[in-house]
Amino acid sequence: MTDKRETIVRVCDVVKDFRPGFGLRRKRILHGVTFDVHENEIFGFVGPNGAGKTTTLKVLMGLIRATEGSASILGCDVAESEFRHQVGFLPENPYFYPFLTAREILDFYARLSGVPASERARRVDQLLGTVNLGHAMDARLKTFSKGMLQRVGIAQALIHDPKVVFLDEPMSGLDPLGRKEIRDLILSLRADGKTVFMNTHILPDVEMICDRVAIIVKGQIRHQGRIEDFLPEAGRKTDVVLGGLPPETADSLGERFDLKMRGLGDRVELQVAEKDVHQVLDSAISAGAEVVSVTPQRNSLEDVFLDAVRAGGAPE
Amino acid sequence: MNSLSRIYALANNTFREAIRNKLLYMLLGFSVVMISSGVVLATLSYVEVHEILQDMGLAAIRFFSVGIAIFVGIGLIHNEVDRRTIFTILSKPVSRNEFLVGKWAGLTFTVWLLLALMAGAFAIVSLLAGAPLGLDHLVAIVLIGLELMVVVAIATFFSSFTTPMLAALFSVGLWMIGHLSRDLHALGQQSEVGTVTTMANFVFLLMPDFEVFNKTLEAVHGLPIDSGEIGLAFVYAVGYTVCTLILGAMIFSRRDFK
Repeated sequence: MTDKRETIVRVCDVVKDFRPGFGLRRKRILHGVTFDVHENEIFGFVGPNGAGKTTTLKVLMGLIRATEGSASILGCDVAESEFRHQVGFLPENPYFYPFLTAREILDFYARLSGVPASERARRVDQLLGTVNLGHAMDARLKTFSKGMLQRVGIAQALIHDPKVVFLDEPMSGLDPLGRKEIRDLILSLRADGKTVFMNTHILPDVEMICDRVAIIVKGQIRHQGRIEDFLPEAGRKTDVVLGGLPPETADSLGERFDLKMRGLGDRVELQVAEKDVHQVLDSAISAGAEVVSVTPQRNSLEDVFLDAVRAGGAPE
Repeated sequence: MNSLSRIYALANNTFREAIRNKLLYMLLGFSVVMISSGVVLATLSYVEVHEILQDMGLAAIRFFSVGIAIFVGIGLIHNEVDRRTIFTILSKPVSRNEFLVGKWAGLTFTVWLLLALMAGAFAIVSLLAGAPLGLDHLVAIVLIGLELMVVVAIATFFSSFTTPMLAALFSVGLWMIGHLSRDLHALGQQSEVGTVTTMANFVFLLMPDFEVFNKTLEAVHGLPIDSGEIGLAFVYAVGYTVCTLILGAMIFSRRDFK
């Protein structure tokens, strides 16, 4: 199915070479990376350490220049700066001027982003409340924990109410409660019509909130598409554990359905195709069996991710 | 207008950061001690007591203010890259040129403020010692201010692409050459070898001429200062600063921030 929504981010055959040191041979970090991010979606960009996630993000933020290829955001070349009032960015492990307070640093970024003076104070207070830093507005950043700095980072990325937000490891340094709050915040950004691009290692978060995903391994995109495409319904299995299943019913189920069966003492565990679950359960219950548990088994994104990593050989 | 407000925000932040640098206060303290010690040194002489006092004072102001400009300036850009604060700044609608100019403007304002404090100390010491103070002294100090503007631009330039250590070496070296370039040029003119003369001319044109900003002798000894020379110093300072910043911006715009 083709997505007819507007393309917000377009990365086309981006190649990036770095020289590791003076006089040393250039090393290729990105090998023709290509993907699109559509309007009002949460796009997960996942990959192992050193895969090129942050390098790709830095190309998009204009912090490094692509050796070859092109990248654009909202139709503007990433080398330009004027369109960036529509872009928010949270870098990985953000660092801020320690001598400023949370309120002062957000006011500084608001000025840089061109937020009108009449709106600045209201916007700063509102955002510090949104990221749960209302109690620490006037504390110096040098007294902040890693998690609090991460929240300041998220607030500065949103200070100018951008259309598209780039987050590099947004859950880094946050406790489980903080992670949930940030997940909820990202979902609310989508609800507000914004587009979110997210670099992360935390695959369950990606599975939970992302609409589409790209997996990058050794500088190459290995998979990209909608989350459902990674986890096809066909082939999904369900584990059914039954107690007191008569042996003749068990034999009958084995003949009628494509399933795997193994005994667990006085119980039987069946691995059934998802489409057959209802019929198997009906037959078992009719025969007087007790249903102990029904657990759908899905290929997780982690399985797809690990397969991609294992399959990836680095092109030279 | 937006560009100016962004540069102002960057300059203001640079100023707020610079005034928290402890090294800056140490150098400021030393400069006040040196300006004041002119009173002691002047007592060693029976003649030109006031001239020695003021000569020493203006030299201390120049030396320490340039020291502050260089030693804060060399880390100006490098620290932003090293601490990665530049990532969030450049992700906003801030061009690299605006960033460079904002950092330069913030530090220039900082050193001008410190220059004013040193000039205040100089005036107090002169008044206490009964030494004459006139417009010439003010002109000499304003010219030091122009020199500082160029020195900050040079330190910013080197800081935009190299480490603080190398930036310090290059900036100090260029400042020293800048005060000797007229002598080198004069030596070249006396040479009978054409190549040496041409080389001396080339070096004189390329290197800054900081003696343009040095009117200490005239101020201390009450000699007349030509207003044309002041105008020339102003144009020279603006021209050299703009050229240095443009060159810095060209290099800085090509940098990758890994």
